[in-house]
Amino acid sequence: MDELLQALVEGLLIGSTYGLVALGMGLVYGVSGVVNFAHGDFILLGMYVCLALYSAFALDPYVSLIVTLPVMTLVGALVYRFLIRPIADQHLLMVVQLTLGLALVIQNGVLMLFGGQPQRTPSIVEAKLFVVGDVVLRGPQVIAAVISFALAGVLFVILRSTDIGRSIRAVHQNARAAALMGIDVGQVQTITFAMGIGIVAVAAALLSPGASIQPSDGLRYTVTTLLVIVLGGMTDFAGIMLGGLIIGCAEALGTVYLSETLGTLLPYAIFVLIMLFRPRGLSWGTG
Amino acid sequence: MLEIHDLIAGYGGVPVLRGVSLRIAKGEIVGLLGANNAGKTTLINALSGLVVPMSGQILLDGKDVTALSAKARVRRGIIQVPEGRLVFPEMSVRENLLLGGINATARPRRATEMEYVLNLFPRLRERFSQRAGTLSGGEQQMLAIARGLMAGAKLLMLDEPSLGLSPRFVQYIFEIIERLHGAGLTILLVEQNLQLTLRYAGRCYVLERGHIVIEGAADAVRSDPRTRSAYLGL
Amino acid sequence: MMRAEFFRILRSPALWLVLAVAVLGPFEMSSYYLHIATLALIYVALCSAWNIVGGIGGQISLGHSLFVGLGSLLASALLLKLGINLWLGMLIAAVLSGAAGAMIAWIDFRFRLGHLSFALITLAFAEMAEIVAIGWDFVGGASGLLLPHDMGNFLAFQFGGGKGSYWAALTVAVVCVTANLAILNAPLGYALRCIRNNEDAAQAIGVGLLRTKMLAMVISAVLTSIVGTVYARYLAFVDPYQLASPLITVEIVLFATVGGLGSAFGPALGAIVLVPLGEILRGKLGGVLPGLHAFIYGLIVIATIMLSPRGLLALFASRWTRKADSLIANLAKLFSAATGPLLRSALPRSRPPCAAAASRTGARRPQNRRRSTT
Repeated sequence: MDELLQALVEGLLIGSTYGLVALGMGLVYGVSGVVNFAHGDFILLGMYVCLALYSAFALDPYVSLIVTLPVMTLVGALVYRFLIRPIADQHLLMVVQLTLGLALVIQNGVLMLFGGQPQRTPSIVEAKLFVVGDVVLRGPQVIAAVISFALAGVLFVILRSTDIGRSIRAVHQNARAAALMGIDVGQVQTITFAMGIGIVAVAAALLSPGASIQPSDGLRYTVTTLLVIVLGGMTDFAGIMLGGLIIGCAEALGTVYLSETLGTLLPYAIFVLIMLFRPRGLSWGTG
Repeated sequence: MLEIHDLIAGYGGVPVLRGVSLRIAKGEIVGLLGANNAGKTTLINALSGLVVPMSGQILLDGKDVTALSAKARVRRGIIQVPEGRLVFPEMSVRENLLLGGINATARPRRATEMEYVLNLFPRLRERFSQRAGTLSGGEQQMLAIARGLMAGAKLLMLDEPSLGLSPRFVQYIFEIIERLHGAGLTILLVEQNLQLTLRYAGRCYVLERGHIVIEGAADAVRSDPRTRSAYLGL
Repeated sequence: MMRAEFFRILRSPALWLVLAVAVLGPFEMSSYYLHIATLALIYVALCSAWNIVGGIGGQISLGHSLFVGLGSLLASALLLKLGINLWLGMLIAAVLSGAAGAMIAWIDFRFRLGHLSFALITLAFAEMAEIVAIGWDFVGGASGLLLPHDMGNFLAFQFGGGKGSYWAALTVAVVCVTANLAILNAPLGYALRCIRNNEDAAQAIGVGLLRTKMLAMVISAVLTSIVGTVYARYLAFVDPYQLASPLITVEIVLFATVGGLGSAFGPALGAIVLVPLGEILRGKLGGVLPGLHAFIYGLIVIATIMLSPRGLLALFASRWTRKADSLIANLAKLFSAATGPLLRSALPRSRPPCAAAASRTGARRPQNRRRSTT
């Protein structure tokens, strides 16, 4: 029983970060129809940058966000503006392949710079433990969950109550009408993509402390994010966060209760079941 | 205020407008008539900046705006109320109106414009927090026009405002259009409904297969036998 | 019921020239280039088979590694563990793949999956298949299977390596591309493209959704499985991480898309360009710095897409092949016009020219033409 509770709680904690990352991807999809298959590799990139900053300047991952957040957001904007946007009007599948090429570049760039051996970035909060009843939680896990929910909340408020948020929702709901309002659709798409990558930078810092990273992890993050976003109904805010929690729990439960191989299967199995019987995923309305 | 010289425009290299010239003076209501596929919506889209002309000129207050982006045209007050309303379905009336006034020129006056618009359309005030997708067709048309006014329109272009509306609503909408005209707004009215347009517009142009075939005062256009043939293809 | 276009392409001299070059190629290639060419042809086959569902049908299946895995791992396991001849094993795997494909098509139809859902659910199946393959000893588990040395015994599904394997790969490549051509010009192709364009409208005009999708998926699955067996035989070492992994599907989709989705020759072109590129990069740079070759490969993929966003085939539009056709036809005419008189003058003048010409080409005298041709 303790094991179950422990696994559930850990799953919920990491699930919140999955949800956050998927929100970024969902916004991009809603606004430009682009599915970024390099999303997970950007997470990986962020984590390696944290590693590098730690090795060079002994910066704690949370502190290095001051550098990584603006830099990665800018990189995201440049990538969208100059690589993706020129192609996005054409067959969207081409954009997917482009992002796959990008994934190769990032993954192997990281491999060339850092080598293929697993590495980890330590953090001062690593050793901190929170004990709630029978459940033992590590510092980074709790911090990750708190910040993920907080950032998701901030994102929600931005979308609801600011002009840029409304512009994003407008482009998603009817791009032509948005253009008639004088909204620069291309600019909104670029900003949204950059925001998605900025979110990724935050997630990378949250996931880094104590986690072991390898260049090949990128694809795994991408697939997890894809599962969450489709489960959540692609653009439904609440659905995506919920999807994140579900996948997080499925992962955690799977590795605890099932054998190694079956454990990694569980998120897929749950995904397939939910998608089959609720093809619109977990969305209630739309975002 | 607005002049178009020999505009050739279309989609994918195929011209729909084949050399259109027209004038709209400040404070006029000008009607643009024509059968389906004559090019009416293409013309409006060209004015909005959504269709890039292949050749020709568009002048606003004497200045060449042909190369101006859609965003910049909105800032200059060229506002389109599109065919089919195109309200943002998942957003409330309030949010739709806020978006209407999002451009840099209109933004500072958004709050006051909102009041003006809600006074003009009391129904919208009633439905203020309701999702736009759940409004009736007539209410959506009101919202679309209100949204256009929020943008600080100097030239308001209405594409088929009567489409899909009950006769009572059509009556109501056109009364509003007349009121706006009375307040000094310049209006370009694109309509398939011949009778309605000829009643409210001062001058009219008739578009047929990408050419202006008739132009003149509404009465003259009404009595011109070519009008009917342009419409019915006789 | 086949469109005339199909036969016109089949009659194209340019096509036969390319084919002739392809068949005779191995005689001039070193074993290194022969290996690359064989790999490229395997991928031509895989990409073309996938294109039936993904390109023509517009349904991005990320589950084709399931069929490759069945064709490679299962057939090999049947040989190694149960002594079943690889030809038979190939057939069994193909039938199972067809059944799996039919089931996937049914699921797609029954649950009305959207495109992204379909992609992810097929990916889920593929991931599950990989996990199962790695955990199941019968098909070799994580360590894979090693096929017996290729002695060239055709009855044992062996091609002798080198040229033999190349021609086997060429055969499946030709079969798959021809299948594409045939489908594109047959009612099935029309139905698929209707569905790709607008599923609801297609259904409204009477296109049988389930029937069409299932047929396309089964054909694609069976072909993919067969190629999988050939691939396994060529590699001899069957590695589940390579042949049953979604990564191979990623490659297939990449080559097919970059080459030009939906057309008969596009995916083939994509494979012909990108496979050798990858291999040569790996060969030249693989040892220099881990990841360098793949890094450059990724950059080239990005550059290629930026330069030809509608696919490589769109760059070589059909008017080029028609130009090539007429060029070759003209060259042929010129050749015979030039050499005809030359040859006649070189021979002894014992017989009248037309009789001599007739006997040279084996043409029958007019009187014999009335014979029946049954």
